[in-house]
Amino acid sequence: MGLIKKVPVYAEHVPGGGFVATQLESVLSHAQACSMWYLLFATACCAIELMCTGASRYDFDRLGMIFRPTPRQADLIIAAGTITKKMAPRLRRLYDQMAEPRYVIAMGGCTIRGGPFYYDSYAVEKGIDHIVPVDIYIPGCPPRPESLLEGCLHLQKKIKSQKLADWHEK
Amino acid sequence: MAELRTEEFMVNMGPHHPSTHGVCRLILTMDGEKVVAIEPVIGYLHRAIEKICENRTYPQCSPLMDRFEYVTAMATEHVYALAVEKLAGLEVPDRAEYLRVIMVELNRIASHLIFWGVTAMDVGAYTPFLYGLREREDIMDLFEITCGQRLTYNYIRIGGVSKDIPPEFVPKCRAFIKKMWSKFSDYEGLLNENPIFLVRMKGIGVLKPEMAIAYGASGPVLRASGVKYDVRRNDAYSVYDKFDFEIPTQPNGDCYGRFIQRLDEMKESLKIVEQALDNLPEGDIKCKVKPKLKPPEGEVYSRIESARGEMGAYIRSDGTTKPTRVKLRGSSYNHLMLVPEIGTDCLIADLVAIFATLDIIMPEVDR
Amino acid sequence: MTRDELKEHILKKYDGLLTPLETGVFDLMFEVKPANLTNVARMLRDDEQLKFDFLNNIAGVDTGEQFEVVYSLSSISNNLRLDFKLVLPYDEAVVDSVKDIWTAADWHEREIWELYGIDVNNHDNLKRFLLPDDWDQGYPMRKDWDAPDFVRMPEL
Ligand code: SF4
Repeated sequence: MGLIKKVPVYAEHVPGGGFVATQLESVLSHAQACSMWYLLFATACCAIELMCTGASRYDFDRLGMIFRPTPRQADLIIAAGTITKKMAPRLRRLYDQMAEPRYVIAMGGCTIRGGPFYYDSYAVEKGIDHIVPVDIYIPGCPPRPESLLEGCLHLQKKIKSQKLADWHEK
Repeated sequence: MAELRTEEFMVNMGPHHPSTHGVCRLILTMDGEKVVAIEPVIGYLHRAIEKICENRTYPQCSPLMDRFEYVTAMATEHVYALAVEKLAGLEVPDRAEYLRVIMVELNRIASHLIFWGVTAMDVGAYTPFLYGLREREDIMDLFEITCGQRLTYNYIRIGGVSKDIPPEFVPKCRAFIKKMWSKFSDYEGLLNENPIFLVRMKGIGVLKPEMAIAYGASGPVLRASGVKYDVRRNDAYSVYDKFDFEIPTQPNGDCYGRFIQRLDEMKESLKIVEQALDNLPEGDIKCKVKPKLKPPEGEVYSRIESARGEMGAYIRSDGTTKPTRVKLRGSSYNHLMLVPEIGTDCLIADLVAIFATLDIIMPEVDR
Repeated sequence: MTRDELKEHILKKYDGLLTPLETGVFDLMFEVKPANLTNVARMLRDDEQLKFDFLNNIAGVDTGEQFEVVYSLSSISNNLRLDFKLVLPYDEAVVDSVKDIWTAADWHEREIWELYGIDVNNHDNLKRFLLPDDWDQGYPMRKDWDAPDFVRMPEL
C-alpha cells in the first residue's frame, strides 16, 4: 500500500491531480466497502443470529460479506456474543493478527456494556471497547438480523466516506 | 530396516476455531495425523450464571435461563419453571402445559436443524446448512408471532406461559408441519447415501453403551448407542404421558448413527406437535403466582429431555425470595468429557466429525 | 419400583447408612456421612435391585452455615431416581472422589473444587478450568465471597 498512500502527494503536482486522487479514492473505498470479509468470531447467543444472517433468508453474501475462519483474510470482526475475562486477551490477539484496514462491529448488549444481565457477574468483560476499537455498535439481546444488516450498511457508508489520507493515520 | 522414528507434537485447537461451535479449546498431542491425547480447556464462556441467579429473585432468573442454552432456550426455561413449580407446589393449567410442549418440541426441531446443517458443514458440505436454516426460519416466525423474540424468548414462565398464542398460530403451525414432512426426503437424499459422507462418518468415534452410561451421556448420543432411554418417556414430566411417540435408537453408536438419530427424532417431535395441536385444551395459560414468590424451604432436582440430552436444574430454596443455589446440568458437559475418550487414536479430521455429532455447545458447559 | 417401595427397600437394606430427609420435594433425598460416601455409592451402583448406574449431577451448595454436596442418581435399567447429600462443616470441607464409580463425576468434582474450595480426595485431575488461569480472587461461589465490582442485591 506504500505507493497508494503516496498517490495523493504526487497527484497534487499534476494539473487536475485532485480529480484523479478523488476518483482513485472512491474506487478503492467502494471496492473495500463492498467486499467486507468478516471473521467468524462467535462466542454466545448472538452468534446464532449471526449464523441466521449468513444463511438463506437474510443472505449476508449479497452485501459482499463472506465469512472467513482465519483473521489473516478478514477485514472485519463481528464480535457476536459475551466476551468473558478469559476470552478478552484472545479477542485482542485475533484483532492484532488482522491486516489493516480493519474494522470491528460490536453486536449485542454484551459487547457494548456487558449485556443486560451480567452486570454483577465476576467473569464477564463489561464491554469490548477497551479491548479493541469499535466502529459500529448494534444494540439488542440478540439484535435481529435486520439490525445487523443495517449496522453493516452503516459501516459501508463509513468506509466509503474515508479519505486516502486517513490511511496514513491509521 | 530401522523403525521410522516419529515425534509427537502439540496442536492447539481453539478457543477460536470454526468447528468447535463456540469457544472450546482442545490441546491435542499429535503423532503425524493421529491424535494421541486430547485435553479440553473450557471456561471461555463462563459467565457465572449460577452465581448471578443467587442474586436474583425467582422470576428474575428465568431470562438468564435462555442464555444458559440458547439453541433450545425453551427447554431451559421449561426445566427451570418445572423445578420452581415443584418447590412452590404450583398447579399449572393444562393449556399452559400443552403450549409448553408445542414450543419445546418446535425448538427441538429448530435445534436439530442447526445440528444437521452445521455437522454437514463441518465435514465439508455447505448446502445442508442453507437448507436447515431455511426451515428453521419458519419456526422462528412461529415463535415471533407468539412472544416477539427469535432466540431468547422468556416465554415459559413460572406458573405457565407469558402469552396465549395468537389465532393465526395454529394454521401457520400446521402449514409448517406439512411442509416439514415433505422436506425429509430432501434431507435424506442429500447426504445419507453420499459415499464421501459415509466414509467420513461410518465407524468413526464409536461409543459403547456401557461407556456412554458411565460418562453420563444422555439424549440422542445415548440412544444412538442403542440405549432406549428418554426422560420424556421414562420419567414423564409435564403432559408427555398423553402423547404417542416412538423412541428411535441406532445400533452402532458411531458418528453416522448419531447423525441419523437426530433426523429420526425430528419426525417424532413433529408427531408430538401434531397431537398437541389436535388436543389443545381451552382454559387459563397461567396460574396465580405472587410477584414476590417465596417457595418453602426445600430442594429439588428436576430434569427434562432437551435437544441435546438430559437437562437438569437443582434448586435449593431457604424460604426467601432468592434461591440459595441454582445448579444447571447441561448434557454437553458430559459429552465434552467423552471427547478425550472416543477421540483418541483417530485422525484430526475425524475429531471434527466426532465433536460435531456429539452436538456440543459451549454455554451449556461453561454456564 | 415406586418411590415408597424404593424408600422402604433402602431403609431396610442400608439402615444407618442413608438417613431420609424431609427437604427433598419431589424425589427421595437422603443424607450420607462423608466417611461412608464411596461405600454407599458403590453399593447403590452394584445392588441388583437398584443399579444406580447413571450419575446425573453433583451440586455443591453453600447454605451460609455449611457446605453440602448433592448427588443426583438415576438408574437406566430400573428407571429409578434418588438424591443424596453430604453435609460438610466449613472447616472439614473435603469429600472422597467417586470418579472410579461413575466416571461422569470427574468434571463435577473438579468444579466444586474450583468454585467452592471443597477438597476432593483421590482425584488425579484437580486443575483450574472454568476461571481464568490467573484468577486470584478466591472461591466465587461461596456466600461470603466478595469482589470490588460485585453488587449484592437487597432482599425484597
Ligand atoms: S447480548 Fe444477549 S443474546 Fe447477545 S450474547 Fe449477550 S446475552 Fe446473548
